[in-house]
Amino acid sequence: MLESLQYIFAPQIINGLSIGVAVILMALGLTIIFGLLDVINMSHGEFYAAGAFISVSLMAMGVSFWLCLFLVPLFLVPIGFAMERLLIQKVFHYKDRHILTLLLTFGVSMVLEDSYKIIWGANPIKPSAPISGASELFGVMFPNYRLFLMGFGAILIFSVWALIYKTQLGAIVRAAAYDKDMSSSLGIPVRRVYALTFAFGVALAGLAGVLLAPIYSVFPTMGRDFILMAFTVVIVGGLGSIKGAVIAGILLTQLQSISSLYISPVWSDPLVFTVMVLVLMFKPSGLYGGMKNA
Amino acid sequence: MHNPQSKAIRFIELLLLISALILFVIGTALGDTFFLRLATESLIFGGLAMSVDLLLGIVGLLSLGQALYFGFGAYLSALILKEISPSFGLTIVMVAIASIALGWVASFIALRSKGVYFALITFGLAQVAAKVVYNTRSLGASDGMIGVPILRIWTPFGELDAGQPGTFFVITLIIIGVLYLVLKYFLSTPMGSMWHAIRSNEDRLAYVGYKSKGPKQFAFILAVMVAAVSGALYPMLRGFVSPELMFFSVSGNAVVTVVLGGVGTLIGPILGSVLLTSFKSIIATWTSHHHIVIGLIFIVIVISAPKGLAGLLTKYYGKQDSRKGGGDGNE
Amino acid sequence: MEMNDVILRAVNLTKKFGGLVAVDGVSFEITSLGVSSVIGPNGAGKSTLFNLLSGTFLPDSGLVLLDGLDVTRANPEQRLAAGMARSFQITNLFFDLSVVDNLRIASQALESNVNLFLPLNKSRIAIDRADELLDEFELHEARDRLAGALSHGQQRRLEIAVTIATRPKLLLLDEPTQGMSQADTQETAELIKQLGSKITVLLIEHDVDLVMNLSKAVIVMAQGRKLSEGSPAEVRANPLVQAAYFGEELA
Repeated sequence: MLESLQYIFAPQIINGLSIGVAVILMALGLTIIFGLLDVINMSHGEFYAAGAFISVSLMAMGVSFWLCLFLVPLFLVPIGFAMERLLIQKVFHYKDRHILTLLLTFGVSMVLEDSYKIIWGANPIKPSAPISGASELFGVMFPNYRLFLMGFGAILIFSVWALIYKTQLGAIVRAAAYDKDMSSSLGIPVRRVYALTFAFGVALAGLAGVLLAPIYSVFPTMGRDFILMAFTVVIVGGLGSIKGAVIAGILLTQLQSISSLYISPVWSDPLVFTVMVLVLMFKPSGLYGGMKNA
Repeated sequence: MHNPQSKAIRFIELLLLISALILFVIGTALGDTFFLRLATESLIFGGLAMSVDLLLGIVGLLSLGQALYFGFGAYLSALILKEISPSFGLTIVMVAIASIALGWVASFIALRSKGVYFALITFGLAQVAAKVVYNTRSLGASDGMIGVPILRIWTPFGELDAGQPGTFFVITLIIIGVLYLVLKYFLSTPMGSMWHAIRSNEDRLAYVGYKSKGPKQFAFILAVMVAAVSGALYPMLRGFVSPELMFFSVSGNAVVTVVLGGVGTLIGPILGSVLLTSFKSIIATWTSHHHIVIGLIFIVIVISAPKGLAGLLTKYYGKQDSRKGGGDGNE
Repeated sequence: MEMNDVILRAVNLTKKFGGLVAVDGVSFEITSLGVSSVIGPNGAGKSTLFNLLSGTFLPDSGLVLLDGLDVTRANPEQRLAAGMARSFQITNLFFDLSVVDNLRIASQALESNVNLFLPLNKSRIAIDRADELLDEFELHEARDRLAGALSHGQQRRLEIAVTIATRPKLLLLDEPTQGMSQADTQETAELIKQLGSKITVLLIEHDVDLVMNLSKAVIVMAQGRKLSEGSPAEVRANPLVQAAYFGEELA
């Protein structure tokens, strides 16, 4: 019994966790954008892909993986900022802004996805893991890169949470999200805050892309494939809830990796999506959501 | 009946009808295949777009997975034609009935939520279904099903060969036209008013005496039926079906055509579909990257003309009316 | 309907939110026709009481009886069918529909459900009622305009028209003069008075002067309980009521 725990489940659990952190990073971006900005970002997956593609190109030019981790999100910030400021804010004042922003970001995703095809081609690219080798944990060998992912991801997630809830900047963002007019009259540059928040959210997605590229490989439709998982995490956790995104992220990636022991991998995606549909049917506000209802 | 929007709608109806007739006459005379088939395909996807518009523009529910029902209709149609009988009438009727049942079941899943959640549920449902179909051997898995026979359609005027592009174009035009008229009929009833009321202020509806659940479910099932019947025509035209028909790009494209043509007008989406399909095939001669162009156009429309072409036309007629000084004295 | 028939009876209504008792064992009777009002200082529980009567909240205990019928747990559509209608504090119209469409939808409940599927022009009852309301509320010129494009005064009239479209026996009005100017308040008061001559109106209000001038009966609430009940004169003279409104002019 203990042996199966060690040799069969432990690897799956660790694998699930290593992917889970990247999924959480992506879901965090989504939930921040929705929770704070009330925008459903259908192009979030494409920013994830952007992160992966840009890091691939940078590394091909000789830039180290570690520098990429830093540069890529930085590069995505102005793009996200511009997108929010120039496009999303244009439709924000409409009554049906939920649908309009959804449609708008959907349009952006179309443009981005095709751009990747043009620039990098349709074939998958698999960058090599920056950390090679494996280490022993609980008597089982794990790839070092995955162990790194878990650790680094956990630190990142904690940092994001701290940034939003424990810093002055985070307080400003939350204030602007909660009451736009009041914040504005208090001197907070609301529009800039919104744009920065969006930029931050998509930068997180891009970072997730950089981190997962060596595991999943990089191709133009990778965003579309991954976005449903991210949305599922956000919904199950509760739209706008960071804690929810973390817990749901862990639960769902664990569900996925452990279920792959019993069912063919093609069914694990439908399994996850079914969870989302069930949650939407019976508890649409998710585990920790509740403020934002459709 | 004289308001700017109905004028815009009437204009588009006539535009499409007349263009269709011209295309049919000239196309048949010149023995054209390409343009007639392209037009037929655009009408078929126009039906899907109408289905999306009924939910989005009339009731106020954005469905991001309507391709599920379109694909259902297509697959069922292919199965019936191949395994049961290559009969047009039988297929259409069976697909209509089966889709109503499917719609009824799906409504219990989808209508639990609204707004953004509804969009995500419909998205998820379609993704799951597409994956399932993709992996189902008996439905041809990723290759889909081929070998759908060309129909000979019985009519009181004699047998028609659906293989003739002109013939099938007219048949499709009639089917989509009938679907359009059915939807327009319901819009002219109090049920249609309920739909508008739900889109405008769902919570108030109970306080004027009606639960919103019934009208929503009715619209949902109707939309599923329209999508499925449109889908049923697809294998008749192309001779095959594949899981791609259920993919998000099909649902997404439908939404684009709705916004492009004019959300809430029903005929606008058909116009949008015609334009988009033609546009795609023109761009395809230069590059396979039509998504960028379509995406860009879409973004521009959402920002500057969210009511689409029909909306622009409506504005034009509205200006005309006010220039006439009060129009028909309705002011 | 006789003037003194009891049309609404509240029996021991109680509603708690967590530890807070918002409405505490409130009972009263409203007789038909005329305007009856519920007043009370802030936090008295008027709004909660209103929501209990209109079905927005369910009481923890107690009954709401409309013309003898138990509607305590009935949902809004059922209450409307029984004859109880409510208006909304913030105008809650179908903003992107025209005035006449608003009224037709509001009147549709007068028809049988079969008519939902027949062409609109077969719903003669609803159409005629809508036209009637257009005249009664002087909205005829605005008939094809979108409800969202009306002036404030027109929207308020439309709101009332929508609420009484099905000819309810009892009309619940929730602070109808909230945030209004003097002139508007006067106009609305006139409207309410006219309504009261044909149906029973129950008003929840802050404006004590308005209430005293309009009502045949007043119920005063304080801290979730009924403090006093009677004619405006009786209530005004009650020392408990005066104390509750300490500092406010009742005369």
